[in-house]
Amino acid sequence: MRARYADGRAAVYAEADVAFTPECVVIDVAGQRHIWTYAYLARADDSNGRILLKRIPDTGERLDLYASAAADLRPLAPALFRARAQGVERPRTIGALVAAAWSLAAVFLVGVPMAAAPIADVMPARYRNQIADISWAQVDGFTAYCDDSDEAARILNDAAFRIMSAADVPQREAIWITIVDAPFPNAFALPDHSIIVTDDLIAMAEHPDELIGVLAHEIAHIEHNHVMTNVVRQVGAGVFFDVVFGGAGAGQAIAIASVNLAGLRYSRGDEEDADSRGLEYLDAANIDSGGLARLFERFQAMSEEQGGDIPMLLSSHPASEARAAAARARSRPGLQPSLNAADWRVVRSACGANPDLSPADEEDAPPVPPDQPPVLAPPPAKPAEDLEGGNKG
Amino acid sequence: MSLDAAAPAQPFAHQGKFFDVLGLALKNAGLTIVTLTLYRFWARTSMRRRLWSRMWVMGDPLEYTGTGGELLRGFLISLPTFFIPAIFVFYVAPFAMDPVVAAWLSIGFYIFAVPLIAAARYWMRRYQLSRTRWRGIRMGLSGSAWSFAFASAGWTVLQTLSLGWYTPVARMNRAKLLWENARFGDQPFQFVEDGEPMHRGLWGPFALGWFSVLIAYFATITLMAVFVFIPLFGAAARGADGDAVGQVMAPYLIAAGVIGIAVFFALLLLLWAPYNAAAMNRIASLITLDGARFQLRAKTFSLFLVSLAGWAIIIFSLGLLAPMAGFLQVRYILNRLEMIGTPRFAEIGQSIVQEPRAGESLGDAFDLDMGVGVV
Repeated sequence: MRARYADGRAAVYAEADVAFTPECVVIDVAGQRHIWTYAYLARADDSNGRILLKRIPDTGERLDLYASAAADLRPLAPALFRARAQGVERPRTIGALVAAAWSLAAVFLVGVPMAAAPIADVMPARYRNQIADISWAQVDGFTAYCDDSDEAARILNDAAFRIMSAADVPQREAIWITIVDAPFPNAFALPDHSIIVTDDLIAMAEHPDELIGVLAHEIAHIEHNHVMTNVVRQVGAGVFFDVVFGGAGAGQAIAIASVNLAGLRYSRGDEEDADSRGLEYLDAANIDSGGLARLFERFQAMSEEQGGDIPMLLSSHPASEARAAAARARSRPGLQPSLNAADWRVVRSACGANPDLSPADEEDAPPVPPDQPPVLAPPPAKPAEDLEGGNKG
Repeated sequence: MSLDAAAPAQPFAHQGKFFDVLGLALKNAGLTIVTLTLYRFWARTSMRRRLWSRMWVMGDPLEYTGTGGELLRGFLISLPTFFIPAIFVFYVAPFAMDPVVAAWLSIGFYIFAVPLIAAARYWMRRYQLSRTRWRGIRMGLSGSAWSFAFASAGWTVLQTLSLGWYTPVARMNRAKLLWENARFGDQPFQFVEDGEPMHRGLWGPFALGWFSVLIAYFATITLMAVFVFIPLFGAAARGADGDAVGQVMAPYLIAAGVIGIAVFFALLLLLWAPYNAAAMNRIASLITLDGARFQLRAKTFSLFLVSLAGWAIIIFSLGLLAPMAGFLQVRYILNRLEMIGTPRFAEIGQSIVQEPRAGESLGDAFDLDMGVGVV
């Protein structure tokens, strides 16, 4: 049978005679004989209409056969007509890749999140403070510090310290609440144990117990180190995406987002944990959790009314009937409000707000009597200049 | 029946069939998703094998001999040399180091990435050429990737400082450096001096592109203003409820924005097509191999259509079918390439350029080739 043979030393083919035996192809070219065993041959044509054979390992030699040679060659060397002979990977390679990919995913997306809390607990405070610097820079970017809110902040810090002392929160000396002027209702914890409360949230609250209930929830996030746990989780996901996707930027985007304020979100489990621990604080400090239940119910109604256009507090703290019901179940009506009327008025006047401007729907909130609830312990002294500029590294 | 039954008559031709390549691209996309992208090394390999084997040069097909395993090995080698430093700079330094130092470190990393990307491009081409054979003879790329990288970075600076006007010179300089180091077997390609500046014939098309892009930019904005924003604000000014008008108009605004961007992008391709066609033709005309010259007949409108089709496929497949864009481009060039004279192939021996043992490493990280790699 006629064929063409290239010797791998020059870019030319020579006419050749070939014969197929049961084990090998015999090539006679220019007075020389080459014997190629089928077991050490592969295809070089990727089914382009030719049958182009090469040796394993590749010597550069090529044998270019008539397409009709397939009829003779196929019964003798069926392996040369399988995809593998063209260099297509084995099914087991694909199986191994699937297994490797999903194992990596399991380690980084399941294992790291499970280990995130212990890892976060042993992370040096320096890391936490640097992430807090980034958070503070962003808080400063979209909020304004309220010069007139020192007294309101002191009142909230007193109340927070009281409930933290009652519940024996270990970080109570470090936790500090700051009121800021922002165009949305929200409260959130930062990695350095700061809690930010926006003036819009204060304006929305119809009763001090509602605001204190939200603060209790944020304190629980801090007590259980949820902020740093979340950072570890997201960095794990970032590294995973970088390694698997080859550094296309997806991983870095996730990691960068994790230290951004918008990335400071908690898992559903963390939220439930903070809800339940927050309710324990309220119980310990003799504060009625009915306030928090009312707030959740109001948010729930608002989100139903407004569809997708919900305030930021709702998007980061999704209100649900379940959360409202949990707070309602532990409600103990008749307890003293967490702030007296005078203090509540000071808090409500923070950031230049008019304390006499009632929230839209106040009829279901109990009245706030003028007497002061008992203070269990004095709050830690915080220098006012710490708050100015807002950067609490 | 002749051995040449499958071979086209012209010196260069690409016989890839659209649906054949699409089938492979779809299979690769599926496996890439199932393996959370780890299959990409094998996907790239099989696509190159398909595209190379359909490129016919003087009656014989090219052959791609690379493997997915090599590309994976290249990627694993790049882990300690690139990814671990990158993970340190982007994940650890911001928490563990002084913020100013960490910021400078990441800026330094980005600055270093400019020549690194150019070097990665060179390594990628070196790998691809070393895995490309014709009649059993290997191609190759000699020379230093870092020399190319730093020269290229310098030209990038000049391009920036000249508001783009240095681009034709930079493009020809890069092509010269790349082609003068390319080999077929033991025979180097050369970039000939034809007595004219290398960038002859490029300034007119470049100026056309540069000025008309400016005009297109303002024209797009003006059209958007006239047909979208002014009617909207007009409605609001006539006393209609601004929010209500906004809500009604929002889908139209988004649609208008998307169409505006798409039209602007297509205009960009169209306006730069004369320059791109001229540059490709000029580069081909200056390449020689053992005295044989090349001629490419890229034309503005056909090149525009091929580029537009490629981008449309990339965008609508969310990048998964990007190799189809590479295929269209390769096929376009091969089918318009001609050879003047014939190299003495019997005199061209096997390549003596060292073969890299692992794959493209950073080329994958920077995704330099849209999943295919066009030599």
